[in-house]
Amino acid sequence: MDATPRYRRDSSDAVASCTLDDLVLLYHRRSGQTHMVISPVPEILAQMADGAALSAGDVHDRLARDFDLGPQDEAMVEIAAHLDALVALGLVRRT
Amino acid sequence: MRHAITLRIGPATFRIGSAWSQPIAQLRRLYAAYPDVDGAIADFTVRLQPTSLLRRFLRPSIFITGDHGLADAAPMSLAHGLLAAEMGMNLQMALGWRRHLLLHASSVEKNGRVLVMTGESGSGKSTLAALLGERGWRFMGDEFALLDLQSGAILPFPRLVSLKNQAIGVVADAVGDARMGPLLAATAKGDIRHMMPRADAVARMDQGGMPALLLFPRFGHEAAVRELGQGEIFMRLTQASTNYVTLGEPAFAGLTRFVTAVPARAIDFPSGEAAFAMVDRLWEELA
Repeated sequence: MDATPRYRRDSSDAVASCTLDDLVLLYHRRSGQTHMVISPVPEILAQMADGAALSAGDVHDRLARDFDLGPQDEAMVEIAAHLDALVALGLVRRT
Repeated sequence: MRHAITLRIGPATFRIGSAWSQPIAQLRRLYAAYPDVDGAIADFTVRLQPTSLLRRFLRPSIFITGDHGLADAAPMSLAHGLLAAEMGMNLQMALGWRRHLLLHASSVEKNGRVLVMTGESGSGKSTLAALLGERGWRFMGDEFALLDLQSGAILPFPRLVSLKNQAIGVVADAVGDARMGPLLAATAKGDIRHMMPRADAVARMDQGGMPALLLFPRFGHEAAVRELGQGEIFMRLTQASTNYVTLGEPAFAGLTRFVTAVPARAIDFPSGEAAFAMVDRLWEELA
């Protein structure tokens, strides 16, 4: 059995976004909440835009195509923490 | 209610009813220059009623209520009835207005462009707006600036200006006693006296303008000008708005548009004169 958690963005979780200086505002239509996020959160969300169910490793691999993420172990831990935080905010679902 | 008056201020119409004649008579004098809308259907009702039947006569004590009420609003003395009416109008706007994004800010206009000033109570934004209104700017409001989410314009809400403590003398000297209301001594916020905006500001209260400069004034500090990040500006403005959350995505779009389009600075100032010089310079440079 595959115990690796997978994450996806549902179409009903669409956000309106606006970049202000070095941060990004996300207006979450379903909850009516405005979130203020900084890198790498907008980049992580962008990699998940197609709605595919991805593990933290998948997200890492997609990000690594565009960014230098440094040692994989450390980057994976950080990405997994961000994904769980996004689940808590209701912007990403764990499947 | 036994005594009542209907007032229109900017786009909002209020019907204020009172169990006592005095607050209504004071409103009638201070709002004499405003349009006569007697009989109009009001957006909001404000009621000044006795805390109990006896309290209409004995140490009269006012309970402020209306369409929207606060359960824990403390009763006020009849001597502060005018303040109760003003607070009641603010409360209805803050809790009930949906047509514009409400920013807790003062605003003044020059050549069709608007200077918006926001800050906590005591920041000097009311006094500054009142005094700029006597120095070639058009006073648009000291308490709420209304951001039109379609056009991006700021609309006036030129109520009486509520002045506290040392600001009372400064403004009374500038505008003269005839435009000042009664002194309301020792309220919960200290001494309060209201100032009537100039008649031309009232006559033009339906004319908005595009925002050209946003200031975060702070009175009582050495003169300083500070730039702010757009994220901080956005956050401060959502905190300064009573209906940002209620208005949903249009508010998000309107406020982000405001933040990205309007230059902003925080200004500290030790005196009115210092503030005027800073405002003139920043308006010249940025607006």
